[in-house]
Amino acid sequence: MIKKWWLLLTVTFIALFLAACSYGGDEEADGAESGSDSSSGEAATGGSVSIPIVADPTFNPWHPNAYAESNVINRVIFDGLTKPGKDLIPSPDLAESWETSEDGLTWTFNLRDDVTWHDGEAFTADDVAFTFNEITLNEELGANSASYFGQVENVEVVDEHTVQFNLSSPVAALPAYLSFNTEIIPEHIFQGEDPWNLTSFNKENPVGTGPFKVKSYTSGQSVVLERYDDYFGDTAKLDEVEYKILPDANTHVAQLLSGELSIFALDDTSAVERIESAEGVDVNGRDTNRFFWLIVNQQQERFQDVKVRQAMEYALDRQNIIDTVLQGYGTIANAGITPALSEYYTDDVKQYEFDPEQAKTLLAEAGWEDTDGDGFVDKDGENFEIVFDIGIQGDLEAIAQLVQQYLIDVGIDVQLNTMDWNTMIDKVVIQRDYAMTLNWWRYPPDPDLKAYMHSDFADQGNNIPAYRSEEMDRLLDAGAETSDVEERKEIYDEAQKLMAEELPYMFLWYPQEVQVKRSNISGVPELAFGDTLHYIQEWYMEN
Amino acid sequence: MLGASVKEEVNQTEEPRRRRRFVLLSRLKQNKVAYISLWFLVLVHAVVFIGPLLWPYSPEELTGTGALANWSLQHPFGTDDLGRDVFARMLHGGRVTLLVGLCAMLFSLIIGTIIGACAGFFGKVVESVLMRITEAMMAIPNFFFVLVALTVLGTTPFMVVLVIALTGWVEIARVVYGETLRWKEYEFVEAANAAGATAKRILMKYVIPQILPSIIVSGTLAIAWAILTESAISYLGLGIQPPTPTWGNMLQNSQQYIWTAPILGVLPGVAITIVVLAYNFLGDGLRDALDPRFAKK
Amino acid sequence: MFRFILNRFGQSIILMFIVTVITFFLINLAPGGPTGVMRMDASPEERQAIVERLGLDEPVLVRYVQWVGNAVQGDLGTSFNSSEAVVDRIADRLPYTIELTVFTIIFSVIAGIILGVISALKRGKAADHVINFSSVIGLSVPSFWLGLMLILLFSVELGWLPSSGVGPRGADFDFAGWASHLAMPVLILSTTVLPNIVRFTRSSMLEVLSQNYIRTARSKGAKEFIVLYVHSLRNALIPIISIIGVLIPRLLSGAVITEAIFGWTGIGTLIIEAANGRDYPLIMGITVVITLVVIVSNLLVDIIYSQVDPRVKNMA
Repeated sequence: MIKKWWLLLTVTFIALFLAACSYGGDEEADGAESGSDSSSGEAATGGSVSIPIVADPTFNPWHPNAYAESNVINRVIFDGLTKPGKDLIPSPDLAESWETSEDGLTWTFNLRDDVTWHDGEAFTADDVAFTFNEITLNEELGANSASYFGQVENVEVVDEHTVQFNLSSPVAALPAYLSFNTEIIPEHIFQGEDPWNLTSFNKENPVGTGPFKVKSYTSGQSVVLERYDDYFGDTAKLDEVEYKILPDANTHVAQLLSGELSIFALDDTSAVERIESAEGVDVNGRDTNRFFWLIVNQQQERFQDVKVRQAMEYALDRQNIIDTVLQGYGTIANAGITPALSEYYTDDVKQYEFDPEQAKTLLAEAGWEDTDGDGFVDKDGENFEIVFDIGIQGDLEAIAQLVQQYLIDVGIDVQLNTMDWNTMIDKVVIQRDYAMTLNWWRYPPDPDLKAYMHSDFADQGNNIPAYRSEEMDRLLDAGAETSDVEERKEIYDEAQKLMAEELPYMFLWYPQEVQVKRSNISGVPELAFGDTLHYIQEWYMEN
Repeated sequence: MLGASVKEEVNQTEEPRRRRRFVLLSRLKQNKVAYISLWFLVLVHAVVFIGPLLWPYSPEELTGTGALANWSLQHPFGTDDLGRDVFARMLHGGRVTLLVGLCAMLFSLIIGTIIGACAGFFGKVVESVLMRITEAMMAIPNFFFVLVALTVLGTTPFMVVLVIALTGWVEIARVVYGETLRWKEYEFVEAANAAGATAKRILMKYVIPQILPSIIVSGTLAIAWAILTESAISYLGLGIQPPTPTWGNMLQNSQQYIWTAPILGVLPGVAITIVVLAYNFLGDGLRDALDPRFAKK
Repeated sequence: MFRFILNRFGQSIILMFIVTVITFFLINLAPGGPTGVMRMDASPEERQAIVERLGLDEPVLVRYVQWVGNAVQGDLGTSFNSSEAVVDRIADRLPYTIELTVFTIIFSVIAGIILGVISALKRGKAADHVINFSSVIGLSVPSFWLGLMLILLFSVELGWLPSSGVGPRGADFDFAGWASHLAMPVLILSTTVLPNIVRFTRSSMLEVLSQNYIRTARSKGAKEFIVLYVHSLRNALIPIISIIGVLIPRLLSGAVITEAIFGWTGIGTLIIEAANGRDYPLIMGITVVITLVVIVSNLLVDIIYSQVDPRVKNMA
């Protein structure tokens, strides 16, 4: 009797073991298969890449629920009027060329005449006008990215392949905005439909103009794209692109190392050492258009004193935070325009080296001194106490804990208050009921930072620190309206100097994206991962 | 067989309380694993509650040694991803973790005992309402509720304890209910009832003391359960939040370093496992000791 | 029987009502809103537009009444974050959770009975101690930690098992791939119930072995002993069916963590997604469906039990 049970048990384990082994075998078989694929297809083409995404995507760039996981697919299956060039200057995509009128109030875009949608219909100016007039500018819809087009009054069809954007005031950054998650969607499918509830398109079978089209999609598992042979540019070299839905970052690393994933931007840099030491994987730091910041609510009087903000900037050992949390992938920021915008970036601004003594001196000048010897500075008998609100996401919590310690070291009593992301947005961004917080901005490849620092948005909108300065308003307005590059450069040079001096935000660093990629994939331009996707038709597998 | 041995003890009215407790301890001594677990737990509690007072580093301060440093004399367990002393964090984390377990257990005990005792003692409508609620709570996969509640209500230590307790009282209520049913039939309870004592007095003075040993057993197992639940919700980022360390959130945080510093995960993982193990052994031992059949063995 | 089912049905409706009220008001009255509204770079106008679209500007009570009105007709609404019908989203995911839990039950029952019987037969010997000790350890290890350790061992170091996902499905289905994806999740999920089954089997086996007629048979000789023993084993194992009913809610709770560790796209990962994104209709839908699953499976277990065990046949 007992022997039988042992037998059963043993058989079970052997079965499990065999199943396990055959999995390993499978992997090799897969590899061999894709190898033979490439030799049977056209020369130097074939193969597929896999990219991880963290959630189910929405195949509609304007949908309010289209987040990062959707963006990386939508920019492959759809096209915008422009796309970021390899130097990040807007370059032609669906539009071949564009020009602005003398007064800057109209922009004319000349469209390509050889573009077809994935279902065979021809792409025309009507699609562009429909996308903007009916979706983006329809205030009831609350479309993604609509806020970039607040000054666009309407989009006019000039002829079948020409459109004209009519503006209420000049927007020099328009071509840049048109390259940033603002792809054109087909009028012939959306006409008369509710664009957010058209599930057959948004969730199943989107029709775009890009180099790849959707082959299959399984919720929670994967999206497989296949080459679109009638793409207007060079036909893609890869056969397929697979997006695997994998919420867990550790899984991304494991699957990259085992070769199941091909390329992505590493969210969590703590694994970078392990990846760097692995064979067959390339790791590259890439500049992105992001800056991290620490802000204090300048509606509160105690934070209106620039000396307090400067003291906090001096108190932080930012290089140490970059080294420990970001594994060195980042550069110290003293203003908001990132080095990725090499045309406009300047480091000729006030620098804040880590200097706790200087921080204490500045605090003392602002009236904050430790008079009762409890280790915390005080003023009018009250300690400098700050509640530091943090949304839980990525590295923010780790960074906040370090920032808290550095501020405690100079005598500011900082309490950390973590909360889930949506609660944080409600409290900090919408209610503005906060004292201090830390986060980052990512913005289109244009130096126009009006939305983040102009006093027009100090009460509601994205000027969350509620910073007000007439001088800054003047510079930002001028920069937003000037199309001449040389003139803009001068304006933004001055603006960056003012930012560093006044610290509307306490700028922390420009993070570098850690891009990881299997070495056998070539043709990927040296850009941030999101931008390389605009060039996915150039990627190919090396044999 | 079951009733006889118990009845004998009880009939000596004032005696049984002391005696049952005494019997419990001496029986526990015979169960080596449970007895060792008891002393081990006393030791662990002493270490995490007294240790932080003696150890020079605080769990939140940056030591200046740098991040992910190896072990050394100053830092017996090295430093963590932000350069904090892991030993100090283990001590403080243990303190918070065990406190969460104890508090959640106490809350659960209070809720469970009140509901179970009332249902058993009053019977009728009270019984059917309370027991239906208890059954309903058993039927719901409570992790779904915990997840949603902590996401929307926030993860303050109070909320974490409360939500764990709110899902942990059911088992206790059932045990107390069963025991109350048994004990309220005994003469000394009926006598008190006849003498006109209030329900509250009878419950507090006569019934609860009799079922205390069972409550202790449930409580011991409830602590184990609460500690495990805290670590599970920490895994989803919903436990007690940094910078306050708990073994659960240290374990969760260590996942990122699974490649570079696996020790960060091993320490809290092992700590949770052995403490929960000890509580489970102790609970099992106490339960066996309580079992009337024990005497026969 | 019929009255029994009717009675249970009535109780279930009250239970469902309580569960939905608590969940609905909890999520709607808490701070923070659906992710669409809470995008960080959305302008106040965009936010307002979405709030109106989703009907969130109506009072909570009105929304609850509307929700109940639709729900009783089988319409659980539209997911805020994907604009798909909640029913469809759940139908996509639920089979995976059922697959995971059913295989876990099968594995746990087989392994649990085998280990429990061995433990009882070898009472007091080394095998008994090892099994006992292991089952307490199984109850004491944080399951996600054990899961990560298994991934480290089997996926990273040895490369035998895939670390994540449900494996190839549909046309690409192959048995080995499927089994290798299922192995670790089933193992981890079974730690939540296997120890209970082992202990339960052990104690009911001990009871059987202590019966007089078994002892007599044992002393008389092996053949008779086996006949009687196997016969009474059957009776000893019938209660296992009832314990499964009790363990189902626990299995489903455990499935949330297990699915999260292994990227198993069931209802557990869906509730995490829904809670994080404040997808109110989806949270409500999952709550309703999961409660229903428990009610129905408990009812099934009770019915089967009453049919199998003569002693409880008249419990209705």
